[in-house]
Amino acid sequence: MQLQLFVIILFLFSPLVPQENAGQFFSSGHTNNWAVLVCTSRFWFNYRHVANTLSVYRSVKRLGIPDSHIVLMLADDMACNHRNPKPATVFSHKNMELNVYGDDVEVDYRGYEVTVENFLRVLTGRLPPSTPRSKRLLSDDRSNILIYLTGHGGNGFLKFQDSEEISNVELADAFEQMWQKRRYNELLFIIDTCQGASMYERFYSPNLMALASSQVGEDSLSHQPDLAIGVHLMDRYTFYLLEFLEDIHPSSKANMNDLFKVCPKSQCVSTPGHRTDLFLRDPGSALITDFFGSVRKVEITMETINLTEPIQQVEQNFVNEERQKETYSYVDQLPVSEIIHQKPKQKDWHPPDGFILGLWTLILLVFFKTYGMKHLKHIF
Amino acid sequence: MAAPLTLLLLVAVTVRAALYRSSLADLISERVEVVSPLTAWKRVVEGLALLDLGVSPYSGDVFHETPLIIYLFHFLVDYAEITFMLADVITAVALYLSVKDYNKQVFRKQKYALEADRYPLDCLELIRSPKEMQYIPLKVAMFYLLNPFTILSCVAKSTCGLNNAVIALFVLSTIKGNVLLSAIFLSLATYQSIYPLTLCAAALLYLLQRQYIPVNLRRFSFWWFVAQYAFMYLGSLFVIVGLSFFLLGSWDFLPSVYGFILSVPDLTPNIGLFWYFFAEMFEHFRLFFLCVFQINVFFYTVPLSIKLKEHPVFLIFMQLAVISIFKSYPTVGDIAASFIKHHKASSASSLNIFLVSCVLLACSALFPVLWHLWIYAGSANSNFYYAITLLFNVAQILLVSDYFYAFLRREHHLSHGLYLKRKDGSEATLVLK
Repeated sequence: MQLQLFVIILFLFSPLVPQENAGQFFSSGHTNNWAVLVCTSRFWFNYRHVANTLSVYRSVKRLGIPDSHIVLMLADDMACNHRNPKPATVFSHKNMELNVYGDDVEVDYRGYEVTVENFLRVLTGRLPPSTPRSKRLLSDDRSNILIYLTGHGGNGFLKFQDSEEISNVELADAFEQMWQKRRYNELLFIIDTCQGASMYERFYSPNLMALASSQVGEDSLSHQPDLAIGVHLMDRYTFYLLEFLEDIHPSSKANMNDLFKVCPKSQCVSTPGHRTDLFLRDPGSALITDFFGSVRKVEITMETINLTEPIQQVEQNFVNEERQKETYSYVDQLPVSEIIHQKPKQKDWHPPDGFILGLWTLILLVFFKTYGMKHLKHIF
Repeated sequence: MAAPLTLLLLVAVTVRAALYRSSLADLISERVEVVSPLTAWKRVVEGLALLDLGVSPYSGDVFHETPLIIYLFHFLVDYAEITFMLADVITAVALYLSVKDYNKQVFRKQKYALEADRYPLDCLELIRSPKEMQYIPLKVAMFYLLNPFTILSCVAKSTCGLNNAVIALFVLSTIKGNVLLSAIFLSLATYQSIYPLTLCAAALLYLLQRQYIPVNLRRFSFWWFVAQYAFMYLGSLFVIVGLSFFLLGSWDFLPSVYGFILSVPDLTPNIGLFWYFFAEMFEHFRLFFLCVFQINVFFYTVPLSIKLKEHPVFLIFMQLAVISIFKSYPTVGDIAASFIKHHKASSASSLNIFLVSCVLLACSALFPVLWHLWIYAGSANSNFYYAITLLFNVAQILLVSDYFYAFLRREHHLSHGLYLKRKDGSEATLVLK
């Protein structure tokens, strides 16, 4: 509905759109948007990580990316967790201001399916053939992808499920695979963990832009606890990111430079970082909606195509061939009939005769030594 | 004395036979407290089956018993239950006879000491009379046969019963004074599990005492006897090892049996102390701690034999207890063997028997509970089981030290009188430091 409206407005205003706007309009070169949103930690006290991911999911959906183009991976279920005093809700702010769970959440990878292997397979596309479409990242070389990771991390790694890790090298290599397989046009990578900047240090593929909530050696802190729910509801960086994104609408012209200013040190306590050296465009010319929204580009053409010529039918000649029928028969792979009649005989093991002889001689010797030779007289 | 003993043997055999026929036999034979990788019957059967298939029974980490056991059970595998019951019966009879003989010697020594007026006047009540010691041999046999640990070990068909039988025969032959048989049985026991090596010193001391050779390192007769005994012991050990080689035609039983006992590769939980430590140890330190743990078993020989050189039979039982606590794969069968000393020393002066026996009972009850919680219910972990193991071993150690204390105190009273006075005449108490 929004798309149609947009098209109509564009069509109406098309003669009025100046050339510069059109130039800017097509400068990003992408035709579709994808989002991969991952929460890597489980257990109730990591409520805030699920809330982080769900808030980004909510913004991304609101700005137009459909569920079919979002891969949402949540390592644990907070809304229906039996420790949640407000079931079926995940709040981002205390006093229950914003329920980021909503009514139409579609989680693609849930619980123990969120593993490093599955995450990397989603990114590189190397999934088993039985994987459903909703679990695949079906991007092409005209896709802009948003990747959001949150959880517990350290210098150079991100912890998955409290039992395994993904390193920054692996992530960089995964992105390079994606680049070589032409799986993205431009990629925005956001990470909200402790020492998050270490995760983008190793990137080397073109067209990557990265943001992190804290530098190496710093911890990302959580925002506020809610006393009714009992845990911290969200992390600071994502809280202010959410606040920023709530002001964005599909036709907003806000660009990446505004995004870099989200959550300064005064609000976040940690220093957010970003990396744009691999990004070929100027960050000022990249719109927020290039990554967070699904703004379809429409090409207005004034040409007409003639569809009045009929389609020609090609006649097919059936050639009848007589095939020679050969009789086929199976050849035995193993000479079964020979094998089954030749069961090996069960040879019982017997102790060697020398052993028995030696043992009993010794026993008799000891016996007679102990009890004296006079017993021998009685025997013989 | 024959009649009560026969009755006891019949009762014991009946109990075991009844348990064999019940459904508990399978349950018990797979409990880790009763069988260890060394002694499990399942592994013996597996080894024999491998042998029938033409493969060495020591290939793969299945069978860790000695080749003589293979030979024995090759013919007796269908009569295994009778074999183990017979082993228990032999152990009990051997203990009975040895305790009877030992009592006779104790009385003789006491008589000499009384005539020589060596006991102070107020400790006459500590002197043992034949009347009160009349039933001790029977009690020892009963204690061994009707001990729930022994019954469990027999029903599980653990080869520990055979080991106990050999050790009991060794004790019998030592007390009877037969040097050759004692050396042979000791070498058989060592051949099966290395730890009875420590009983060598005790046997030597006893036999020296019996032949009135004083333990003086400068005398030739002492060294000559030691050489004789060592020759017999080592000779029979080599003969048995050589025979085992001829049985199977290869030396691969050496790493499988002795290498296994000494290097502890299998870390299945049992009631010992090794598994938990070695499960969490870094490879770098494994050899060091292995040496430490194994030396710990053998180390107590030296101070104990110095302290107890007048009482070598007590030393034998102390050593048995130390072995059963600190060996690498203990089972309740070893514990049963170590409990024999209960009726040897007078328990009047031991301090906390009640506490220790309560702890032992409680631990024995908790072992299967915590095993179930750990392995099946998943709500406990290995720490719980190890805590009970530790407590069990601590209780055993306390028991050993308690008996040691009681024994020494009795000896002290016998030489210094029952009511101890300090130099200024006030009352004193004995403390074991």
